[in-house]
Amino acid sequence: MPNQSPPTRYSAVAQGFHWIIAALIVVQFTLGWTAQFLPLGARKLARLDWHKSFGMTILTLAVLRLLWRLFNRPPELPPGMTKFERQAARVNHALIYVLLFVMPLTGWMMSSAKNYSVSWFHQFTWPNLVGPNEQVFNLLKTTHDTLSWLLFSVALLHILAAFKHHFWDKDDVLKRMLPFTKSEKRS
Amino acid sequence: MRKLLAGTAAVLLNSAAVLLCSAAALTSSAAAAAASYTADPAQSRLEFVGVQAGAEFKGVFHKFTANVDFAPDALAGSRIDVQIDMNSVDSMDKDRDTTIRSKDIFDVAHNPTAHYVTKTITKTAAGYSAVGALTLRGVTKDVPIDFQFVPAGAGAKLTGSAKLNRLDFGVGQGDWKSTENVGDAVKINFSLVLKPKT
Repeated sequence: MPNQSPPTRYSAVAQGFHWIIAALIVVQFTLGWTAQFLPLGARKLARLDWHKSFGMTILTLAVLRLLWRLFNRPPELPPGMTKFERQAARVNHALIYVLLFVMPLTGWMMSSAKNYSVSWFHQFTWPNLVGPNEQVFNLLKTTHDTLSWLLFSVALLHILAAFKHHFWDKDDVLKRMLPFTKSEKRS
Repeated sequence: MRKLLAGTAAVLLNSAAVLLCSAAALTSSAAAAAASYTADPAQSRLEFVGVQAGAEFKGVFHKFTANVDFAPDALAGSRIDVQIDMNSVDSMDKDRDTTIRSKDIFDVAHNPTAHYVTKTITKTAAGYSAVGALTLRGVTKDVPIDFQFVPAGAGAKLTGSAKLNRLDFGVGQGDWKSTENVGDAVKINFSLVLKPKT
């Protein structure tokens, strides 16, 4: 629908993708962060087992979300934003999108490199992306760990920006992503 | 009458001797028919496939010796005898290998070797199957195997597989007893390149 004017709210599908993935990222951070302090044992394996299954779920959702996004325009940014704010919002959103792919992919690759294949909730096993290799694993683990902090930072910035829009600018940027709310009509 | 008795006795003794001789000939010919081989360590492979966190993982034993007496027409005198150095386990991850060698899993400090020796070998449609005694982590239990024996020059290639339950042998104590993270069933695949014994 290229000639239609952009919507004023995010659609239910976009909201669904956003909030499900957001919730899964919180779960992922908790599982991944706490698992690293456990010794190699049944408890660590169980935690990472969930971490991998959720990670592959996020990757799948990210693929679907990106495809959906390509064919569905999001609402435009509110008119009051400065050029810098618009640029910052665009870069931050792009970074989040990139990390939605890079985090699961580096996780998947590091599992392959350590010869711990990735299962999806014990239903099926994803193919290994790389062969067993300790150096490759160490490199990927460092990347995965470092990028998790980048994701943490951009997600935090994203949340703070949403609150700034809602409480400071008093626009509908937060509301239009919230289900069961109504956005005020923009003049 | 005495002559007759003596004659009969002599005949009986003779036949007994003939019987004994032929029995001896039979057993010796069977033993001779089963040729003796050893596995070439460089070309042979002993692999296990376990399930961890819902996904299969493979490992190998780098050090093992296999002595095989085998002939398709002398299965009663055939035998496969494998000795495995449990320290040589390699699952392509050092952390996991250390864990596998530890007390709760292989306990290599107390059980450095595993031993498998066949008791009976029978012909099947696809090749052969055998039942043998596996001693693993100090526990001995029967484990059946299926295999193919393909002569190659003076030697042969012996390939096959087996399935066992690790918990039957106490492989996995404490937390590792749970089959939620590490499955009970383990597959074994082997491929032995046999050289004739000199």
